[in-house]
Amino acid sequence: MLENIKENRIEYFILMVAVIAFIILIYIFRFNKDVLILLSGLGSVLYIFWGIIHHYIRGKLTKNIVYEYSLFGLLSFLLFFVVLSF
Amino acid sequence: MKDLQPKQEKEGSGVVRYWRKHPKSIEKYQFVYRFLPKDDKKKRADFLDNKAILIYCAVILFVTLAFRFIPKFAPGVLGYASNISVSDLLKYTNKKREENGASNLRLNAKLSSAAEKKAQDMFADGYWAHVAPDGKEPWDFIISEGYDYIYAGENLAKNFSTSKEVVEAWFNSPSHKSNLIGKNYDEVGFAVVNGVMDGYETTLVVQMFGRPRQPSMLADTKEEQAVLEKSQIKAVTSVAGATEKTENLNEPPSEEQKDPEENNTVVVATNPQETKVVVDVTKATKTVSLAFGGFVGSLLAVDVLYSRKKGIRKFTGLTLAHIVIIAMVIASIWFILRPGLVV
Repeated sequence: MLENIKENRIEYFILMVAVIAFIILIYIFRFNKDVLILLSGLGSVLYIFWGIIHHYIRGKLTKNIVYEYSLFGLLSFLLFFVVLSF
Repeated sequence: MKDLQPKQEKEGSGVVRYWRKHPKSIEKYQFVYRFLPKDDKKKRADFLDNKAILIYCAVILFVTLAFRFIPKFAPGVLGYASNISVSDLLKYTNKKREENGASNLRLNAKLSSAAEKKAQDMFADGYWAHVAPDGKEPWDFIISEGYDYIYAGENLAKNFSTSKEVVEAWFNSPSHKSNLIGKNYDEVGFAVVNGVMDGYETTLVVQMFGRPRQPSMLADTKEEQAVLEKSQIKAVTSVAGATEKTENLNEPPSEEQKDPEENNTVVVATNPQETKVVVDVTKATKTVSLAFGGFVGSLLAVDVLYSRKKGIRKFTGLTLAHIVIIAMVIASIWFILRPGLVV
C-alpha cells in the first residue's frame, strides 16, 4: 500500500486536498440541500476525471478503467443523493 | 439401484480427491470466492466488478424512486420522526440571541396563535412558503390575531428531528439568521404542528417575530408561562387536505375535538412534540446509503489486504483512491448531513 502511495504521490496529494476541501464545503453548506447536491455531483465528476487523467498519464487507460471510475463516481453521487433528496 | 450406488460413491470420492488435489478448480463455486480478488484474471472480486457496481447504483436509484412514489399511493406511511417542542425552540433561540448580543425574546400568545394558524393553513392548502397560493402573507395571520406591530418576521422549517437542529439551520441561513438574532424584535410565537404534506408525515415549525406598536402590549412572564403550558398540554390540530389522510398519533379524536366549521378532519395528538412514523425516511435513506457504502468500502479494504497477502497484481483503477472516496462519503453522511429544510 505504501509503495502505491509513493508511486502516485502527487495524484494522492491532489486527491487528499480535494477531499479535505470537499468535506469543508459540505460542512459549510450542510443546511443547503441544493448546494449539497450540486457539490456531490461536482465532486463525483472531478473524481472521474482525476482517475482518467492519472491512468492516461501513466499510459494505462483502458475502457474498463474509464467505466470503473465512472461507476465509482456515480455510486458516490447516488449515496449522497438518496440522503439529500428527502 | 443397488448396482449404481457403489459406482456413484466411487465417482464422488474421486471428485473429492480431485478437488483436494486442485483446490483452484473449486474456488469459483464457493460463495466466499465472490468477495476475493482473482489472481488468474487480474481482477477484483466479483462483487466489486463494474457490473456489480452498476447493480448497486440501480438498487439505490430504485430505492430513491420508491421513496418518492410510495407517498402518492400510501400517504402518511413514510415520514420524518421528530421530537420538537416550543420550550426547546424558545430556549435555543434565546441562547443564540444571547451569544450574539441580542435581548431574549418573550413568548406571545397572539404570535403563537398566528403561527399555529399559518401551519394549519399550509397543511390545508398543501404549500410550504411564506406566501400562500391565495396570496395570504405572514402579516395577515399576525394582524388577524389582533397583534398590532411595528416590526414582524417569519421563519419556517420542516422535516427536522430536534428543536436544536431547527434553530441551528435557521442560524446558518443568512436571511433566517437576521430574524433569529434581529434586534428589532421583542416577542416570538411558535407552532409545532404534525400532519401529512405531499404524502409524508411531517412536522412543520413556524416561528413568528414581532415588536408591538404599544410597549404596554408586551407579553409578561405570566402570559409566557401560559403559552408554554398550553403548548405542552394542548392538542395540536393537523388539518389534512381533501385528498390527504391524516393519522391520529395516539388516540382517536373525540367529538369536542372536531372542528364543526371545517370539512377537513381535525386530528388531535396528545403529545404534540413527538411524531412517530411507520417508516422514518431520514433513517431509511441513511441506512441504505451507509449499508451500500460500507459494503463496497469493506470489499475494497479486503481487496487491498488479500491482494497484498497473496501478491496479486490486478489491472484495475486505484483501489486505495476508491476507498478514500467511499470513506469520505460515509463520513459526510454519518457526521455532517442532517435532515430538514428551512424557508
